Amino acid sequence: MIEVQGLTKHYGSVVAVNNVTFRVDIGTIVGLLGPNGAGKTTTLRMLAGVLGPTHGTISIAGSDLLESPLQARACLGYLSETSPLYPEMRVGDYLTYRAAIKGIKRRRRPDAVREALSSTHCDDVIDIRVSNLSRGYRQRVGLADALLASPPVLLLDEPTAGLDPNQIREVRELITTLRQSRAILLSTHVLAEVEAICTEAVVIHRGQLVAHGTLQDLRAGHRAADVALVVRDPDRLTPAICADLGWGLRPDAERAVESPSVDAGETLRFVVYPEQLTGSMGSRLEELVAVLVKSGVGVRGVNQSSRALETVFAELTSEVGTFAP
Amino acid sequence: MTALIATLRRELASLWLTPLAWILWLALLLIEGGVFASIVTSFATNPGLTLDVGPLQAFYGQSVFVPLTFLFVCPTLSMRAFAEERRTGTIENLLSAPVSAAAVVLGKYLALLVSFTVLWLPTLLYPLVLRSVAEVEWKVVATSYVGIFGLGAGFLAIGVLCSTMTRSQFLSLVLSSGVLLAFIVLGIGENVFDRGFLQAFCSHVSIQSQLMETAQGIVSARRMIFDVTLSAVPIFLSVRVVDSWRWS
Repeated sequence: MIEVQGLTKHYGSVVAVNNVTFRVDIGTIVGLLGPNGAGKTTTLRMLAGVLGPTHGTISIAGSDLLESPLQARACLGYLSETSPLYPEMRVGDYLTYRAAIKGIKRRRRPDAVREALSSTHCDDVIDIRVSNLSRGYRQRVGLADALLASPPVLLLDEPTAGLDPNQIREVRELITTLRQSRAILLSTHVLAEVEAICTEAVVIHRGQLVAHGTLQDLRAGHRAADVALVVRDPDRLTPAICADLGWGLRPDAERAVESPSVDAGETLRFVVYPEQLTGSMGSRLEELVAVLVKSGVGVRGVNQSSRALETVFAELTSEVGTFAP
Repeated sequence: MTALIATLRRELASLWLTPLAWILWLALLLIEGGVFASIVTSFATNPGLTLDVGPLQAFYGQSVFVPLTFLFVCPTLSMRAFAEERRTGTIENLLSAPVSAAAVVLGKYLALLVSFTVLWLPTLLYPLVLRSVAEVEWKVVATSYVGIFGLGAGFLAIGVLCSTMTRSQFLSLVLSSGVLLAFIVLGIGENVFDRGFLQAFCSHVSIQSQLMETAQGIVSARRMIFDVTLSAVPIFLSVRVVDSWRWS
């Protein structure tokens, strides 16, 4: 539903977005992640038609944004980062105006406005001036604006910024509900939000796409998991075997003493991760344990822990590979 | 067309919901009312006055206050058209909507034209009041308003263009006031140069000359073409500037 090919944006000599390609299908919520200044907002603004790309193509619901801009923009709802509204207007008047410029027929406008306000739980502010609204309400009115005309594509820049915990939960539930018939791309700094509502994530760093896939794939594909090995003797042999088999060692956890000499000698705990995951995690682990046992290293325990998205994000967007052995 | 009308209505509401338009209206009526009263008083208290113009011609065509009202009305009305949208970020909502830059610019411009007309509307009372004591040449009244409207439309278009060039309302006001002042100064050149191209040019762009002509019941094609050009060129450029924001 959203197709982006080789998207690039230059600001003079600065490359804000560089050759980004991804796709968002109907029924998916894709989180656009990246550190500050990574190019998330620039990407969203280009997709919304606010900014033109230097290179690349954008297709919204089958319409090329550059060749058929009005047709493409008619298929999208956009909530910008600051949710700017006209302060002197009443909420109902503002949304009626927005409904008109989005091409909703005059007779349908009151219902469309009521539906949008109802779905964002803003019915009670329909007669209030925008200047008198709280930050949270302004955000929700902005979201109601994006929902007008029921566009098949939603672009949401920090949709829960400024909301209280209850409102955040409500907006997340709403976005999840909207997913049924829409392609949703949302930019956020809150990784917990991505884990809570997104089916996929696109990670951008310094304007370049560094990862795209389901959250499960991102966790699995990028140093998927830590494995804690509890081994008995000899501690010098274990790191070498792990390295030979392509397992990295977490420097921070290396050689932590798990429990001092129980029966026959010392037990040590190594935390390792696969450098590159080819094949399933289970078969790689089986191979590692088999080689360790064959080499005479007694394996007393193996604990596999799934990595949090936060860790994956940190690795993808860090300047230096923190986990390089 | 729907988007254009929606933009026009929103702009009108926005202009008249804030004190700005009301203050402008009050100031304009105070100035014009004072000038008209003094002109009529002058004619009434000097019955021996032999002039080739009547009080209406003097008011619409010879008073320097009409050009001066352009100087504060047009830039003030138009300064927020785009500058405010860019400052507050609401321009993003417009640029992401399925509406063309031309519809947005024209919608805003037409709202300014309607407001400008509303500001001048009460001055129609002046000839109506005068009718009770003297004969009124309605043709002169009609052509005078054609002149005022034509020039006002041009200066509002210049104001819109200036508003697309900056995020600051104040800078937009200064820019468009500067351009209007340049027209007034160039108009003075008509009386400075004796003959030749410069004299013809200054006469062509002179606000005062146009107002004097229309106050005599003359609406020339030359002046109308000038007014239409004065409106169309800045509006066309404004559309281009708004479109160019996507590529900045």
